[in-house]
Parts: sequence; structure tokens; C-alpha cells
Amino acid sequence: MPTYTEIMQIIGYKSRNSVFKLVNKLADLHYLEKDSSGRIIPGRLFHAVKILGIVEAGFPSAAEEELIDTISIDEFLISNKEATYMLKVSGDSMKDAGILPGDIVLVERGLEAKDGDIAIAKVDGEWTMKYFRKTGGKAYLEPANEKYKPIHPRESLVIAAVVRAVIRKYRC
Amino acid sequence: MLSQPLTLGFFSKAIVHIDGDAFFASCEQSLNPTLKGKPVVTGKERGIASSMSYEAKARGVTRGMRLFEIKKICPDAVILPSDYETYSLLSQRLYSIVRRYTPDVEEYGIDECFADLTGLRRIYRMSYESMAEKIKQELDSELGFTFSIGLAPNKVIAKVASKWKKPSGLTIIPGRLIHQYLQNLPVEKIWGIGGQTAAFLNKHGIRLALDFARQNELWVKALLSKPFYEIWQELNGKFIFPIDTSKKIVYRSIQKMKTFTPASSDRDFVFAQLSQNLENACMKARRYKLAAREVLIFLRTQGFDDVGLKIRLSRPNAHPHEIMKAITPLFNHIFKSETFYRATCVTLLQLDEIKVVQLTLFDSPLTVEKWNEIYQNVDELRDKYGKHSVFLGSSLLAHQARQHEGERGMLPERREVTLKGETKRKRLGIPMFMGDIAW
Repeated sequence: MPTYTEIMQIIGYKSRNSVFKLVNKLADLHYLEKDSSGRIIPGRLFHAVKILGIVEAGFPSAAEEELIDTISIDEFLISNKEATYMLKVSGDSMKDAGILPGDIVLVERGLEAKDGDIAIAKVDGEWTMKYFRKTGGKAYLEPANEKYKPIHPRESLVIAAVVRAVIRKYRC
Repeated sequence: MLSQPLTLGFFSKAIVHIDGDAFFASCEQSLNPTLKGKPVVTGKERGIASSMSYEAKARGVTRGMRLFEIKKICPDAVILPSDYETYSLLSQRLYSIVRRYTPDVEEYGIDECFADLTGLRRIYRMSYESMAEKIKQELDSELGFTFSIGLAPNKVIAKVASKWKKPSGLTIIPGRLIHQYLQNLPVEKIWGIGGQTAAFLNKHGIRLALDFARQNELWVKALLSKPFYEIWQELNGKFIFPIDTSKKIVYRSIQKMKTFTPASSDRDFVFAQLSQNLENACMKARRYKLAAREVLIFLRTQGFDDVGLKIRLSRPNAHPHEIMKAITPLFNHIFKSETFYRATCVTLLQLDEIKVVQLTLFDSPLTVEKWNEIYQNVDELRDKYGKHSVFLGSSLLAHQARQHEGERGMLPERREVTLKGETKRKRLGIPMFMGDIAW
């Protein structure tokens, strides 16, 4: 905001006192406010007008900077691109986990499976997808469907990958 | 003499060579657990082994072996059609993982690359040995099969190192230990030394790589050409061959070859195969804005005899209908009726960038311009609707026939799966786990 002297010069007043009276009038109407040292600052009416102005002008075009902080659907679903694979689901052993036949799961290799992860394991030369459970140092696989029983491996359990995301597409 | 080092340094440069173990077969095994531990061979569509798993190698299967021979010596071999799309995806991942450590990566082949780690010890706070080890560990765990890595002061020795222990080797050869790795290595095992040079060196009593490395410099310079002098320098621990980080899109020649089964003695059919290869080669040339000055064609008979001829074109050209006029007489010359052919091949040679093409006296500039436009449209159509949407009439018979009758026509498993939203031509660029999935 301009100083009293500057306002005096802009309007062409001869004295600062005239400016003082004008400022007081505007301050009464809340167009202006004075700070603790008496300098003028815009009143809240200006803020209100400013907000209305944005609405009237419609939304400004999306600035490049606003989009810097967005991620693509790839980045959202995939953490480590080089280690990510997909698997087409067959069978209903994970239906209660919301994974149905025909779904595509995105799985990541090289991760250590934690209790509660959905993991892709190698069992008798086939892939299988189950909850990975580890209790008291014993690891086993648990289906999300009461029709099936948990799998307790006789030897060591080979976890090939851990599920990161599920994709189900409804319409092309 | 034997124990005297060739050079005193350790790593004046730190070059790694990374080589996928039985790459194509390993890609298949890593994606399909039913193949683990079995002799797996790829190349079914070509009729010969292009890659074989270590289980198959142990049974005596070698690269280039024909399928019926493989079935004889290894009846339980799993023979698969090549899935180049998947191999390429995994190859890109190999390069990307190495680039986590250094931007200086040379994509030397689909299954191998060189990388320069020089100067990175301080920022990673680890030795070159640990870096190589970490790269290997990340490759093995994220791609699901093993790689062999060699670390050395230059590319020639790094190649020796990566081959030293396979599969899944990590061999480190500092400069002052090079001589120990060369002392029992036949000279022809050195990268860049072919049969001819090896035979020449053998005549001079040089059979082992160390003998060659210890030859007098003046002798090497006087008797051998520059590339071999450079190899000699690298064997002695110097760094000569730079890491070429440029993407390899500069083609010196473009070759399109296709095998078809059963073999055919039908002139029109074999010509259609040749015509199709020519069209595809020209399309690739146009994609890279190249035109050929020479064209080589050959036909492969059922008995694996190749007959070929080369012709020079009047001006650089990438228009198949024009080149066709030039190669038709060649085809008529080499095609023998009563002979069965199994493959045709077209190679475009002496490729030049299409800039301003010097027309011959008899070319009409307007016609040439018109054809450029036509082919531009053809390329756009083929990009949009597929390679088989527009083609010359002479290729018709090849398009109508399946490339391989019977079992060799089998598609890779990934090609048989079309996800919702995918088309026959466009698939998601993520490798897919295959095989049976147990509930």
C-alpha cells in the first residue's frame, strides 16, 4: 500500500492531513485498516473482493507447477518398475480378499514377504497366490476362501513375488 | 616368467561385463515354474535351438542344433517358440538396473552389457567388487534368473571374467592378476579374435592368450592390424575400447529372413515369401529414414544350402515395388524348380540417410515425390491397423499361408493371452507369469 505522502502526491492534495481524513473515512468503511504503527493495510473487503474475482473469472488454467505433484496410474500401482510382473488370476481361492478369477495382479520380485502380505509362491512347480502367514518362525500359506485349507510346506517355502495391486477392468 | 604380472595396477578403470545365463531359456523358466529344472530349448519357430537352459546344455543340446536332433538326444526337452517381446522387456530391465549405478552402460546385446563404474567408489562408499556384487544380486532377485558378471580394467578382460565362471559367476580380475586368467586360455577365446587370426597366431606358435599378451609390441604392430594391436594392449591391462553409450539405432544393413514349413517348391509361393521380406525390410528402412544402395537376396533349400545374389540399385531406394523389379530377375536366376526351399532372405545394404536423393537421368522427380507420399500413407496405415493391412499383391500368398504348418506354428504362450483392452498387436509392456496357477 502507498504511504500518506505518496497518496498526497497521487491525488494532488496539498497536505498530509487531508490524506489522513480520507484514510480514516475508508477505514471506517473497512476498505482499509491501520496496523499498530498507523500504516495502512488493505481491509478485509479487499480480500472478499479478490475471492469473488477468481470465481467470476472462472478457474485459471492449470499451471504447470500444480501438476508437478501428481503421479501417473503406473507410478501409483508400481513401485519398482524393473521388478514388477503381472499374473492373470484363475481360481477363487482368494475371493474373500477381493481377488477374483480374471483379475490381473501386479506382483513384485525381490521383496521379503511379511505376515499378511498376499504372496505368489511356487508349490509343486506351479504358481499359487495366498496370504503369507508367519507365526513363531513357521511360515505357511492361507487362502481367502473357506473351501480351501492352508498350505503348510513340507520343505522350505519359495516366495517368488509379493502382490502390490490388483487390476480389474469392467469395460474397454 | 609365468608369475610376472602384465601390469601392476588394480583398477585404473573399472569395467563390468554382464551376461545373462542362457538368457532366452532363463526368461521362460523365470516366468513359468513348471519349466524350472527342465531342459528348455527356445527357437521352435525357426526349427533350430536359439537358446537352451543349463539342463539342456548338460544333455548335449547346442545352439543351432535342429529340433529333430534335439528330440533324439533329449526326448524330454521342452521346446518353445521364441517370445522376443518378453525377452526384449526383460532385456530393457537388465539395462535399467545397471543404470541405477552408472549412466555409462553399453547395450551390447539383448542379453549382455558393459558398464563403466570408474570413480563411483566414493559416492557409494563401496569397493568396485561390492558394486558388482550388488548389481548381480539385484539382477538375480528382480529378474528371477542368474547373471554372470566380470569386473576388470577393460572390456576385453571383463569379457574373459564374465565367461570365467558360468552360470551365476562373479569374477574379479584386477590388472595385476590378468596373467593368471590368461595362462591356460586358448587365444581364440578372447573377444574379437576369430578363427582366421587364431590360425595365424597358431602358426607362430601362439596358442594361449598369455603367449599373445607377452608378444613383443613391435611384432604385434608389424604383423597384425590395428584392432588386434588394440586387443593386445587391453590384454596387457590398458583401457582402449570405450564404452559406447549411444543407442544402437544406426543400421549398416537391414535383414529380413523368414523360415516357412513345410518347405515349398512352388515358385509363386517362394517368391511371395521373398516379396514379404522385402516389404518388411523396406518398411524398417523407412522408419529409420534410410534407403539402400544394394540388395542381397538368398533362398535356403530344404538341405540347408544357401543360394544368393546381390544387385546394385540405380539410386538409394526404400520402395519395395521398385526394388522388386530389380530382384525379380535375380530370383528367376537362382530359383530351381523341383527344389524345395525352406526360407527366403532379403538384406538391404549400404544404407544412406534419406536426404536429397540424386535422381538418375530417367527418374521423374514428380513420380518419386508421389511414391514417397504413397509410402508415407502405407506406413501410417500399417502402424495403425497392423503389418498385414496393406501389402503388395506379390506378397499375397505369403500372407494367406500360416508361416508354419503344424506344431512349429505354435505361438508363444503370452501371445495366446489377450487381456481386456489389449489387442492382438498391442499388449501391456509388463512380463507375465505363465504356466498353471494352482488354487
